[in-house]
Amino acid sequence: MHAALFGQLTIDGLLVGGVYALSALGLNVIFGVMRIVNLAHGEFVIGAALLAAVLFERLHASVLVVLPLAFVLAFGLGALIQRAFLRRLPTDLASAEATSLLMTFGLSYFFVGAWLAFFSGNFRSVPYLTGAWTLGPFSIAQARLLAFVASGIVAALLAMLLRYTALGRAIRATSQNLQGALACGVDVERVRTLSFALGTAIAAASGCLLILIFTVNPETGANVTLASFAVIALGGLGNYAGTLVGAAVIGLAISFTGYFATAQVAQAAPYVLFILVLLLRPAGLLGKSGA
Amino acid sequence: MSGRALVISIIVVAVLAAVPPFLNGYARSLLYITVLYVALAYAWNVISGYAGYLSFGQVTFFGLGAYTTAIAVIRAHLPWWEGALLGGLVSAALAVPLGYLMLRLRGAFFALGMLGMAQTLQVVANSWQLTGGGSGLFLPPGSNALPVYYWTLVIGLLGFATTLFIDRSAFGLRLQALREDEQVASTLGVHVTTTKVWAFVISAIMPGLLGGGYAWYLTYVEPVSAFATRIDLQAVAMTILGGIGTLWGPLIGGVLMSQVSEILAAQYPQAYLMIFGGLVVVLLVLLPRGIAPAISAALERRRARAAQVQR
Amino acid sequence: MSTPLLEVENIRRAFGGVHALDGVSLRVNQGEILCIIGPNGAGKTTLFNIISGVMRPSSGDVRFQGQSIVRWPPQRIAEAGIARTYQIARPFARLCVRDNVAVAALARERTLERARRAAQDVLESVGLASLADRPAGSLTLTQRKRLEVARALALRPKLLLLDEVMAGLTPTEIDAMAVFIEQLRERGIAAIGGVEHVMRVVMRISDRIAVLDFGKKIADGTPVEIADDPRVGEAYFGTQIDETGAGPSFPLKGRP
Repeated sequence: MHAALFGQLTIDGLLVGGVYALSALGLNVIFGVMRIVNLAHGEFVIGAALLAAVLFERLHASVLVVLPLAFVLAFGLGALIQRAFLRRLPTDLASAEATSLLMTFGLSYFFVGAWLAFFSGNFRSVPYLTGAWTLGPFSIAQARLLAFVASGIVAALLAMLLRYTALGRAIRATSQNLQGALACGVDVERVRTLSFALGTAIAAASGCLLILIFTVNPETGANVTLASFAVIALGGLGNYAGTLVGAAVIGLAISFTGYFATAQVAQAAPYVLFILVLLLRPAGLLGKSGA
Repeated sequence: MSGRALVISIIVVAVLAAVPPFLNGYARSLLYITVLYVALAYAWNVISGYAGYLSFGQVTFFGLGAYTTAIAVIRAHLPWWEGALLGGLVSAALAVPLGYLMLRLRGAFFALGMLGMAQTLQVVANSWQLTGGGSGLFLPPGSNALPVYYWTLVIGLLGFATTLFIDRSAFGLRLQALREDEQVASTLGVHVTTTKVWAFVISAIMPGLLGGGYAWYLTYVEPVSAFATRIDLQAVAMTILGGIGTLWGPLIGGVLMSQVSEILAAQYPQAYLMIFGGLVVVLLVLLPRGIAPAISAALERRRARAAQVQR
Repeated sequence: MSTPLLEVENIRRAFGGVHALDGVSLRVNQGEILCIIGPNGAGKTTLFNIISGVMRPSSGDVRFQGQSIVRWPPQRIAEAGIARTYQIARPFARLCVRDNVAVAALARERTLERARRAAQDVLESVGLASLADRPAGSLTLTQRKRLEVARALALRPKLLLLDEVMAGLTPTEIDAMAVFIEQLRERGIAAIGGVEHVMRVVMRISDRIAVLDFGKKIADGTPVEIADDPRVGEAYFGTQIDETGAGPSFPLKGRP
């Protein structure tokens, strides 16, 4: 392979990885606090992506304008879902994980149907910033760079929120030690609601940026869920720094397979990687040890 | 099963076997779809309801069965039912190594692992020449509905019988024990891995056999419908409605929901997905154990009252 | 002298640099009752996890009836005759009490029917027979403890590992448990009990006592030897613990 091509695919992959990192961070916030893997995550990403696409088509609204709007809408939607449904699940240990998976599985298809009703089944994209800058032998697509930078900004804002605000401290405390958080007087129920809302809102933000790079329709959400989950499976569930590494790996995998095979095969690439990792170090990924 | 339940079951099966030749095409296809989904729900219920490993990708084996059958018929000129049997065999053969690999994963890892498996096979079917790529494979047309219906009915009955066996056997008790706590089950002498791989194989053979019939019924196979994960959504919704991890759950839920799915699926896919997805969500809040346990509790109460009156 | 029932040899196990067990060796003879005492975190549960096969040691060997079992999977160890209970009772919540025990009885009985009958017998012996049809998730803490023991007994073990069986019980229940453990000896079942508190009972029921401290065995002997061992006194019966109230207190003076 030419070094130039290799470099180009690496750049493309890392830029895409930034968006997946953001999406996976949203999944991780929810998992950290609630111990729930939200299988409807991809549908929230895709819902925002389609909203951004439609608003661009109709009103020529920039994704950067739609992003805060989608963020707020998704925040409300997430809070609603948590209050109305997830909160009411039985919490006994043996079945808690199973019922939460079943419920978010049901939610994911509910939203596939809802997006089909709202947005139709058409594939959409946002032809915004279609140019590219040339940098030596490489070309850097402006849309990809924008998506990467904006993802970085949202992720940095999230990091600041987690580090410096009362809510952030409550989220981190609850993630690390539920009993301890309860003992310290953290309103865990409220933290759960806000975390689910925040995770959903981050999913929406990443969707508004993903649409700058990919063409999507309502049925592509499962791929996003799988890719985001693969990111955190690689990086470690609940591990924020690992998420970045995982996202880079997934981004590269998508970029390289997309070039050497087809875009469709590229969608299966995160999954194949995820399985390979499970084969190589299954113990590290069970998230449970006998201690 | 009590004597009365046995008699009722025999009558129901006799009616299901005797009636189809006298039905019109629409009613017959409705009946076929109902039996198909009940059977798929029984398959899903073994690995997910009894063993507690939620699979959102058992459709992997349904698609595998469909493609195996189509290839066997087109390339090897086998009769369709031999192709479908082969589909069951291929599914079982894949399920053994896949089970050893996947069942080391828990919870979301397993659920998403299986979902991804189905997606991956869909990509493979889409890209491979043997499977006809995106346009799929076409089988010789003919009047296939009736034989496929009986095939499906037999597999549905086998699914029921298998579940009855699991519900009453040492194997089933071990499965339920490992569902509740795998480590404790192992220190009490349960061969955890072997037990759950068996359950996985049972849950794979049935969709494999059913998918073969489905291919012959439709006279074509293509990647999107053969590996449609919404088939799993339906099995999940039906089983939860009827009662997850119960003997009668898949039957009750499947009969109630198949009509809805058949009427909506083709014409209003968005409404169909919202109804099935929403149903799962609402049921988990309002009736998490499903209808079957509620019915048996009611029967129990009536029996108790009758006993009291007699006294 | 015949081979001991269980030999634990120089077991080490580290978790991220911290030695949970640092070269521990133990022997248990047939029908013998060994109590392992030590505060929470001394390594008792880790030791039980290693003997029962749910955890591998970093190094060292475990031999049962002369055979090395350290690489065996848990179910094979259970079938060979080592049963265990868990510190925090872990019933199969959605199964009925009888079926909880029948799961273990299946290791010895060929049919489910016979396993359920055997389970019922065991439940009689631990006083849970009247609750046999209740879902195990509905039991009280004390009942759950008994169910743990019932499941372990249904394996018809030669060696029983009892992880903190006394914890959370009232004084009356502790006495009942002590009587139960002493009866094991008459039935030829050896037992290793991990105990944090209640020295009074430990002194009475044990054939031997081993003392664990930060993953090391610091003493091993008969109850009398242990009580007179200066190292034990220093580590466990000293005054610092009582003064700070940070650790468990062992009422040595009250021993029989």
